[in-house]
Amino acid sequence: MHLTAQLLISHGRMYRRMGLGPRSRIDMLRCLLTALVRHERIETTLARADEMRGYAEKLVEHAKRGDTDSRSMELADFWLTEKDLIPKLFQVLAPRFRDRSGNYVRMQEVPNRDRADRARLAVIEYRGNPLPPLPSSRPAQNPNSLVNQLLEGWRRDAAPGQPQAPNGA
Amino acid sequence: MIIGKMAAAAVGFRSRGGGPGLLISSIRCLNSSASDDKSSKFQPPLKPVIVDKTQSTTSQRRFVSPEFIMRRGRTNPLKFIMERKDMIQRRKLLNIPEFYVGSILAVTMAEPGDNSKANRFVGICTQRSGQGLGANFVLRNIIDGQGVEICYDMYSPQIHQIEVLKMEKRLDDNLMYLRDARPEYSTFDFNMKPVPNSAGSEVPVNLLKVKMKPKPWSKRWERPQFNVQGIRFDLCLTEEQMEKAKKFDKPWLKYDMQREYDTSKIKESIERELQKELS
Repeated sequence: MHLTAQLLISHGRMYRRMGLGPRSRIDMLRCLLTALVRHERIETTLARADEMRGYAEKLVEHAKRGDTDSRSMELADFWLTEKDLIPKLFQVLAPRFRDRSGNYVRMQEVPNRDRADRARLAVIEYRGNPLPPLPSSRPAQNPNSLVNQLLEGWRRDAAPGQPQAPNGA
Repeated sequence: MIIGKMAAAAVGFRSRGGGPGLLISSIRCLNSSASDDKSSKFQPPLKPVIVDKTQSTTSQRRFVSPEFIMRRGRTNPLKFIMERKDMIQRRKLLNIPEFYVGSILAVTMAEPGDNSKANRFVGICTQRSGQGLGANFVLRNIIDGQGVEICYDMYSPQIHQIEVLKMEKRLDDNLMYLRDARPEYSTFDFNMKPVPNSAGSEVPVNLLKVKMKPKPWSKRWERPQFNVQGIRFDLCLTEEQMEKAKKFDKPWLKYDMQREYDTSKIKESIERELQKELS
């Protein structure tokens, strides 16, 4: 058997290969994470956003422990290259997610890039950000569809004291 | 006179916080012993319960064997539940003591063909690996100038007894470098007396730094990937070689947050389960 078959097969590998090597990958993700903390919503390629997602959530988890925690401060200092964002992380983002456990980040695919590479793009944002909501890719529910009408009728029957007469009465 | 003394003793017992009930019961005993010797059973005095109040519950050592803590993955948790049940069942039959890499153990294992005969091996634990029922540990010793490493399955039914002769930790989790160290660091007497360890306190860390045989070694232990703290590199390597080794360092791994695995909650829940089942 080929001795390095394990190195060729990528079963169970957690991380994508990005950039020039592992150091370059971490540096790229660092830049993206800094930009996410600054603007709270960024648009990148799907792969980069997906890689960055885990780090964004872990950073918030560490920030929730407080700035007195030495490890959290060390990580914030490493991952945020623009140092004016470290207070923002601990004083704005951490309190925002105090009551939420996990799922701090929302990722949504957007139409492919207009350039020749037609790259798959995604928008990644921290939840609860002050920006206007993204146009949702899912079509809105049609209230006149059969299923929705039936559900509406059931809700009316279940709720007591509704003075509306049922349809067709 | 005797009855008077016993009454006084009963009173003394009462004043310690027994209450009137105890006094009555002691008098009842006296009465019964005076009348009927055979029917009243001898009640031995209650054994004193020693509670070590110098140490709070937080400092008392809570040990969960590493094979109980599962790795991160997408496996069904039912697998771990069932495996833990089997592990606990085995532990009820065989006492697997708490030990770390660097402790000296004596293992009695049955011979493959003959269950009645048993072989005893003493050695230092160099590695602990495997998850669940497949957990194993490697004991190393030097016998007649030949280094011997035996890997034992902790939950194998062939094992008759695991005894910890000396409980201590070392500076590393993996002592594979003892293969390239001088033989005196791996020789242990088969008949060595077990060293009593003070129960409930911290595990002693042996800060021994080992002297190595000349290079070449089986692995390049000076490289940062092995993270070896327990070798006297200043005696066997030059500054140049140490500088060369530092080139293979990956300092970004320290900051890679996704590699962190917080096992505290899992450890707590498993600890509760083990305490309930095994005590």
